[in-house]
Amino acid sequence: MVHTRLDGVLFSRMVYLGASLLAKNVKVVDGLNVFPVPDGDTGTNMNMTLASGAEELRRKESPLLGEAASALAKGLLMGARGNSGVILSQLFRGFSKAVNGKEVIHSRQFAEALKAGVDSAYQAVMKPVEGTILTVAREAAEVAVRAARASDDIVMVMEKTYEQAQATLLRTPEMLPVLKEVGVVDSGGQGLLFIYEGFLRALRGEAPEDAAHKPKPVVNEADLDKLVHEQHAQIHMKTEDIHFGYCTEFMVHISHSTEPNKKPFTEGLFRSQLNQMGDSLLVVSDDEVVKVHIHAEHPGNVLQYAQQFGSLHRIKIENMREQHANILKAEESKVPQAVPVPQTVAARGEAEELTYGLIAVASGDGIAKILRSMGVHVVVEGGQTMNPSTEDFLNAIQGLYASEIIILPNNSNIVMAAQQAAELSDASVTVIPTKSIPQGLAALVAFNGAAGAEANAAAMKRAIANVKTGMVTHAVRDTRMGDVEFKEGDYIGIAEKEIVTACPDLQQSAVALLMEMVDEDSEIVTVFIGEGATQEQAEALEAALADAYPNVEVEIQEGGQPLYSFIFSVE
Amino acid sequence: MPIVILTDSASDIDASVRQSLGIVAVPLKVMFGAETYQDGVTISSAEFFAKLSRSNVLPTTSQPSPLEFAEAYKAICEQYGKDVQIIAIMLSAALSGTYQSAMIAKSMLEESIDITVIDSRKASYVHGMICVEAAKAAREGKGKQQILDMIDRYLDDVQVYFIVDTLEFLQKGGRIGRAAAVIGSLLNIKPILTLDPAGYVTAFDKVRGTKKALNRVLETFQEYAQGKPVKAVVLHSAVPDQAAEILERIKQEFPVADSHLKEIGPVIGTHTGPGLLCILMARA
Repeated sequence: MVHTRLDGVLFSRMVYLGASLLAKNVKVVDGLNVFPVPDGDTGTNMNMTLASGAEELRRKESPLLGEAASALAKGLLMGARGNSGVILSQLFRGFSKAVNGKEVIHSRQFAEALKAGVDSAYQAVMKPVEGTILTVAREAAEVAVRAARASDDIVMVMEKTYEQAQATLLRTPEMLPVLKEVGVVDSGGQGLLFIYEGFLRALRGEAPEDAAHKPKPVVNEADLDKLVHEQHAQIHMKTEDIHFGYCTEFMVHISHSTEPNKKPFTEGLFRSQLNQMGDSLLVVSDDEVVKVHIHAEHPGNVLQYAQQFGSLHRIKIENMREQHANILKAEESKVPQAVPVPQTVAARGEAEELTYGLIAVASGDGIAKILRSMGVHVVVEGGQTMNPSTEDFLNAIQGLYASEIIILPNNSNIVMAAQQAAELSDASVTVIPTKSIPQGLAALVAFNGAAGAEANAAAMKRAIANVKTGMVTHAVRDTRMGDVEFKEGDYIGIAEKEIVTACPDLQQSAVALLMEMVDEDSEIVTVFIGEGATQEQAEALEAALADAYPNVEVEIQEGGQPLYSFIFSVE
Repeated sequence: MPIVILTDSASDIDASVRQSLGIVAVPLKVMFGAETYQDGVTISSAEFFAKLSRSNVLPTTSQPSPLEFAEAYKAICEQYGKDVQIIAIMLSAALSGTYQSAMIAKSMLEESIDITVIDSRKASYVHGMICVEAAKAAREGKGKQQILDMIDRYLDDVQVYFIVDTLEFLQKGGRIGRAAAVIGSLLNIKPILTLDPAGYVTAFDKVRGTKKALNRVLETFQEYAQGKPVKAVVLHSAVPDQAAEILERIKQEFPVADSHLKEIGPVIGTHTGPGLLCILMARA
């Protein structure tokens, strides 16, 4: 099969097949993550990013290549998660710009567009590292340009591109020592290779998989109501204090762009926007109708927002506090009287219009609570295992009324998505590149609401440099890194980005890591207790520290973070 | 013409020092519910903090009335004669109405007495130390203008930083002013507080943990002292060992010309609670 022209239809098929191939191989890509910690998620991130691109493409299907590429780029940009996801989105952002306005392209234009994508990705990364997805994409695009000079067959160009991507991927361990040490190829590069394989197979005539074209389920009202009520029951059992007082249900009949004042409907955006307004959110939609269930404190805002997309029907709003109070009244005699807690300034709430809006990423109830206590307005759920997307950040930004917004990504793999959101947003957004929870907290301590944006950014960045981060988790495979050798299930201690201790006993590993991090100059050590660790174990650590370094202050906090039994902050 | 230094009990000057230098201190009042005490007269620091730890109610304070100041002025006049010159160095007007009372009292007097009332914009032994220096200068026979100039120099020069165990007391007493923004964290964040030029309690910086806070304060003082001799005072509330340790460290790290360790009095203690550590320095 030969293709001398690439149009929107064929391009879409390439993307769908690439996406489904990547989706099938998520685990393979995740498994290539260099650190043998239980959070390898490059594959997951790339898959979610590409799925968001494919979804947008499907919604705006077009025979015109330029429009299809632009839809893909937009979807990728909004869905970008993790550094590999952000780079992927930049690859196609550059591609899309290069083919802007074109109905079809020839092989040379295709190759040039691939090259333009690489340029865009290199620009987006502040310190490009060779031996990663960037190198794979670059060398492949360079070969594509050469191949396109010799042939006007796009299939052939893609073949060469794919072959080069494969060859480069195999060489990544030579370029990046850490890959060689662990004995893997670069995970992001592998992800890109799956996408390119899908491209090639589609060009060769393979039909996109069913999954890629599966129609969305049509709303079945009876099912939805059942779902809603099941969830309802659970919520009522669990709820002790109700933050969102009104159970709100309604339907929106989507207007399809005929009415001038209606906005186009995007389910993902709609969902995440509503998510900011309450909890227990359920959104089910087909092309015509969206059914919504949400517990919100301001149902009026929810309805007002939803009305932008169409007409509202079957509106039902119930006051849950009233319902709850009735239940409580019946049980009052059994419930001990609550002790009134003195109100702090923070608890009284702040004025509506903020000078600063603070957004921080965290997983773990305890850590989220600590962040909020330090003035963070929006805690975006996420961390190593679940990187928030660019769109998640944009939604958080949109939900804040503040003249200056500061984002603390608190993870090296989330920094880029946050920066991408900062660029896309109209608001004045500063990303402080915090790479861990301890760095995020140190930055918050240095934050001063009365100081200017630049002074704050400088002070917060300085604070990051003065804190050391340690984490204890279990290894998910046998390997050795540097001088440390370990088996699957061993507890490994990571200081900053380096594995420094490993042993089968959590406590022993934690003590060894602490001794590695703490020295005579250390002033305060904070222990965040996470999944699989107990208060007693934390206190034993405190005792061990007190023996070795009697002058160091130790603070124990319930972090509740998943996967990491302990997170240590040493200042 | 004799010169007499008058102040309030919030200056936390020891009674023996006051007596030997002839400093008059008008007491503020401390109330535990319905019980009222004269600061430093009917309740000592030790008694106050012991009582505070047992009490269900938090104490409150009140300024001396203008009448009490007027009586103090008259008493000085009777003791030293009509030509006495009184220099009244008062607790920060931003924190207390004591200065205002002293001013009103001055205007209430029928006979004319030479009284200069100064808003120190300071508190505790920060203005207390200045009273002591002023009284010494008066003893040495310095003139009124000379002493006033010296007081101005000290007021501008003296540096004070303090750390409280909890902001609760400052907050409840409404003395937190512009430091309020740092309250409410679940982490052990120690705000480093100071008095701003207008005499309000304000946050200078915040760090995690007492050790870090002290290090930060001493770093700041190093920048201030520039290796030159200083007068250094460590004030505390109910933490004498910690305060003594800090003073020892200061003596090692600074060329100290003159140093004191003091426990703050009941009135200031009402607003800081126990666990205050305060360092003040002035160029010697």
